[in-house]
Amino acid sequence: MKSAYIMQKEIRESILTPKGFLWYILTSIILSVLSYLFLTNSELSLLDQGEMLYLIMNFITALGVLIGLVFGADAFAGEMERGTLEALLISPVNKMEIALGKLGAALTNWGIILAISLPYLFVVGKRGQNLFIGIGYLAVLGTLLTIIFSAFSMGLSARIKSMKNSLIISFFLFLLVGSPIFLSTALRMTWFGKFLDLINPFADAINTFDSVVIDSQNFSYQAWRIAIICGYTLLSLWFLKRSVSKLEM
Amino acid sequence: MIINVENLIKSYDGHTALDGLSFSVEEGDIFGFLGPNGAGKTTTIRILTAIIKADSGNVLINGHDVFKEPLAVKKIVNALPESNGYYEWMTAQEYLEFFSNLYDEKQSKQESGKLLVDVGLSGKENHLIRSYSRGMKQRLGIARALINKPKLLFLDEPTNGLDPKGRRDIHDLLITLSRKHGTTILFSTHLLDDVERLCNKIAIINYGKIVRTGELDKMKGQGTIEDMFFLSTKEGAL
Amino acid sequence: MKRATVFLLMILLAIAVSYTSASAISRITVSINPPSIQANMGDKIIYAGTITNNSDKAADNVIAYISLANVTQGKESPMDLEDWSANKAIKVDTIPPHGTYEGKWPMRLIDSGSYVAYITAVDKNDNAPISSTLSHLEIQRVIRLNPNNVLPIALGEPILIGTVFLFISIKRRRKNK
Repeated sequence: MKSAYIMQKEIRESILTPKGFLWYILTSIILSVLSYLFLTNSELSLLDQGEMLYLIMNFITALGVLIGLVFGADAFAGEMERGTLEALLISPVNKMEIALGKLGAALTNWGIILAISLPYLFVVGKRGQNLFIGIGYLAVLGTLLTIIFSAFSMGLSARIKSMKNSLIISFFLFLLVGSPIFLSTALRMTWFGKFLDLINPFADAINTFDSVVIDSQNFSYQAWRIAIICGYTLLSLWFLKRSVSKLEM
Repeated sequence: MIINVENLIKSYDGHTALDGLSFSVEEGDIFGFLGPNGAGKTTTIRILTAIIKADSGNVLINGHDVFKEPLAVKKIVNALPESNGYYEWMTAQEYLEFFSNLYDEKQSKQESGKLLVDVGLSGKENHLIRSYSRGMKQRLGIARALINKPKLLFLDEPTNGLDPKGRRDIHDLLITLSRKHGTTILFSTHLLDDVERLCNKIAIINYGKIVRTGELDKMKGQGTIEDMFFLSTKEGAL
Repeated sequence: MKRATVFLLMILLAIAVSYTSASAISRITVSINPPSIQANMGDKIIYAGTITNNSDKAADNVIAYISLANVTQGKESPMDLEDWSANKAIKVDTIPPHGTYEGKWPMRLIDSGSYVAYITAVDKNDNAPISSTLSHLEIQRVIRLNPNNVLPIALGEPILIGTVFLFISIKRRRKNK
């Protein structure tokens, strides 16, 4: 219950603010430009609609993860730098309750991004295949990825106690997990490339979207990848718990 | 005895912050914790409020072991940290409501409004904290620290950075608190004037050890507090 | 001597001709269908290719692929089929003696202009790759300004979020004096 109050505070502090709304307006502008280009530009508009849906799903997931990282990095180190953490720690709230409240706010942010993206997904994917199942997978995997990256970044923030440094390390991690996408198709098809893809939760989500939306493959094809993402979710929560238990001013 | 500290040791990265610290505070005292910068005052308060753990030693707060029952301790104590930050986008009323929600017994709006009156912020409850002066913020911090009607209140350098009027206001507020509610107050400072105006007991800390402690009146009989302070901390710097 | 020289030359000529014809008459031939197509941007078309093995021996591991060249005046260039066709090259394990292989090359028409398409087959036992005749492809430009009703969403949503933000800030400002 106390987590809910922390979450409420975080939402007011980070989401219902000019800065928060600027994020959302920018998100919707980027999605507007992307979907308009996809549907009208002479070359892009000729992409298969499943493919357009897949590309927008990737963008939304990356954005959710990225903002989740910022939420995480700010969680403890930001409060410490602003001098507000000590008053929170003095109150009879378990440190993990504080962390869960903050994680809840990061998930709320993800929910808002997903809600903003829904009209675009409907417009872009309405004549394509697998729209609804694709959105279902996006909601579930996006939520898990937000937990993974926010919890990791939050744990770092509690350990490093510097918002700037935890943000830099988190962004580096984001680039690291995003980089296989830039690898050549040939390299990705080798056993090493496939292994890298499999152990990378971000690549697992992207490949699942590809398999579900473009290749119309059923759940049995996704089970391994989803199991790995769930494993990372548990691992990141464990890391967060360990990190906050060691948190000292 | 509301505070009983025995042989407290704490070190950070090889630097010893507390080196066998022992002292006790009686219920109802206004206890001045005096020492130069870096003497270990803030570390002591953080350990006593269950924010950080000590390497060794025993601390009992109102009979509760601070290391074994931190939540029980947090329910009966509160503190105003030295460099307390504020959620500046909140109003004072919202700020108190937020912290009140973190306790099992929440305060009503009227009660938190009354707290703001007590600390001299009536009429300002719906103003954003970012519009407050430093002294007003400090008074709001004290109101926040009173939100759970604590038996024991820790104040870490509460008058730091305030102008003479601001300091006088805080002094008056603490005296009223102690007299009206019987709240035990432990406050750290390096300002001797604060001590002389407020405290009935003091402890002088240097290099993580108590170098002198006792009732202020008795100590005054042995010389000025200023002399005593400089003699006790001659290797430290103010 | 003269006679002998002429005879020798004739024998050499006969050998040369027999070699030349052996290399010119390939074991396989390739054809493309339809010979011409007129379509719009965005359409999906399918080219059918027939690879015929004219010899008495089976042709193994034949590679066949489709190529497209832009022949629009001023834009003449070979096309990268990255976005146009998912299956550019296929490998045919074996074509029996005097047998045929029918292959299909679906293609999405990405840009307008005049193009020629042709299918090439490579048999490692031949000296040269064999290509089909050219199939002419004319693609008409299609302009869609509001496909799938994207405009109301693309313009409306950022405005809607901005309005919600203004509403919340005004409400908050009033509350906080």
